[in-house]
Amino acid sequence: MLEFQGGSHPAFELLFARYRGPLYGFFRRRLNGDQRAEDLTQETFVAVIRASARYEPRALVRTYLYSIAMNLLAAERRKQFRDSPPGELAPEPVTTDAPDAALWIRRALEKLDDSEREILMLREFEQLSYAEIAELMKLPVNTVRSRLFRSRMALKEYLEPTQKVSHAVAAGDETERVKLARAEGEVL
Amino acid sequence: MNKIIHPIAPEELMAYLDGELTANRATAAAAHLGECAECQSIVPGFRGVSQILKTWKATPPGSEMPPVITTALAESRPEPNSVSPAQRKWREIFGPRWATLAWAGGVAAVLVVVGALEFQVRPRYITLERQVTSDSSADRDHLALRESPGPTSAGKPAETVLLIAPEEKEAATGHDLVANGPMIIRSAQLSLITKEFDKARANLEAILKRHRGYVGELKAGGTTGSGRTLTATLRVPADQLDATLTEVKTLGRVESESQSGQDVTSQYVDLQARLSNARNTEQRLTDLLRNRTGKLSDVLQVEQEVDRVRGEIEQMEAERKNMSNQVSYATLNATIAEDYKAQLQVVPPSTSTRLSNAAVEGYRSMADGVVSLALFLLSTGPSLLLWGVVLFLPARLIWKKVRRSFAS
Repeated sequence: MLEFQGGSHPAFELLFARYRGPLYGFFRRRLNGDQRAEDLTQETFVAVIRASARYEPRALVRTYLYSIAMNLLAAERRKQFRDSPPGELAPEPVTTDAPDAALWIRRALEKLDDSEREILMLREFEQLSYAEIAELMKLPVNTVRSRLFRSRMALKEYLEPTQKVSHAVAAGDETERVKLARAEGEVL
Repeated sequence: MNKIIHPIAPEELMAYLDGELTANRATAAAAHLGECAECQSIVPGFRGVSQILKTWKATPPGSEMPPVITTALAESRPEPNSVSPAQRKWREIFGPRWATLAWAGGVAAVLVVVGALEFQVRPRYITLERQVTSDSSADRDHLALRESPGPTSAGKPAETVLLIAPEEKEAATGHDLVANGPMIIRSAQLSLITKEFDKARANLEAILKRHRGYVGELKAGGTTGSGRTLTATLRVPADQLDATLTEVKTLGRVESESQSGQDVTSQYVDLQARLSNARNTEQRLTDLLRNRTGKLSDVLQVEQEVDRVRGEIEQMEAERKNMSNQVSYATLNATIAEDYKAQLQVVPPSTSTRLSNAAVEGYRSMADGVVSLALFLLSTGPSLLLWGVVLFLPARLIWKKVRRSFAS
């Protein structure tokens, strides 16, 4: 990042190549629509370019990028909330890869508290450290650890039947998967 | 049943699996995990959740850089080394640019506040020096009592006017006043009606004495058949005005009351500044007279200028002293009216009194008659004598002719 700030375009290309996928995944798992996730990923990099003169290496580049991404995500959610008619919920984000797994996981994650879900997702999907999550969420590290523990324990319970389904899917037993899913009340 | 005490909490175990424990705790966690079957059973649960979550993948549609980013990159052209190492070091110490600006703003605000306080406090110290000097040289006022010669007849009692100057020196100096806050000239008007006029008047003086006040002016008067009235301008120390008012109100029924205050702080400070300037001018002119030589006309002109400046200084000194006095002592204009009740004379005068009065009246009438006759004779006697002399011979001639005609 400092090299890019110093005028090196190859440095930015390297940054883009390294973080494009994670940032796309960040938006895709939280929003509906591939295109919107792609747009926001691009907006994140454009924001990085425009703010490069003011960049100060006070945190890891990864944290810096995710802080921009979180701001864009918050703005997007506000926009969606304003634009959507009252009572109508936004469609669930389902990735193209393994859509069944995405749906189950999404359902389980929805049951978590907002803050706990965000911490868990930042840890599991973005692979951020506790300290980075604490900085992004503006929370003490110990709070992050406690909430992460709670969310994992809760998610473990929510995913228990899903684990069986997941194993069934892995084993190719479609009948077993549907049976278990219906028993859980999932809408596929 | 024995309860197993785990030296590593489940949260710490999770942090150990995430690689987020410190080296010491990680070693302890690893050791405990190696020997505790219960804790070992927790581990698959955590790992299972992570493994399931990993199945939710999101792959971006392409790997090439989108045009919007390429364009932004081309437009940005960040200046090479726009942040120098020195600037980076500075920001490490004082934070980012906005934080530095906030720091600078805070420091500037503190400086402005301190400067403003300094500006307000400094003239007060100057005031102290000048005031003390002035007081040390000021003449003490003396008590002055004057009784007016007013009319003594027509049933109207003599009107007494008392002009009493303060016995004591000013309670507070100008510096004290300015240092203690704004300089306010306070005044109050109070109108009372009392049934016991004499008692109220006596109590008024006692109140004044108690509050270290003095009478600026006092007028007491009245006519037969109506109530008496006392009008007084009282001066009391400013800090005693409220207490004095409260006590004076107890002397009768309050008909009207009003208070006012005039802030003269800026005028006083301005006066001090002008006085200081005038003194400096006087000093410079005096030095000029002492050290420079020149034509006689020039010297005379400088002396005239010195006289003019000294006159201004004296005038400003008097004004300043007057202002200090007005601030130190509040003015209370009090009017006390008697609640008059007409008295019916039910007891007639005694006979002896009436005889005595009659004798006195008779003697006075006789004396008045004699005096009046004497006055008449003295005033008309010469004229009568003159006319008697002039008319005596014609009158005698006429009288003889008349007697002769009657005889014939």
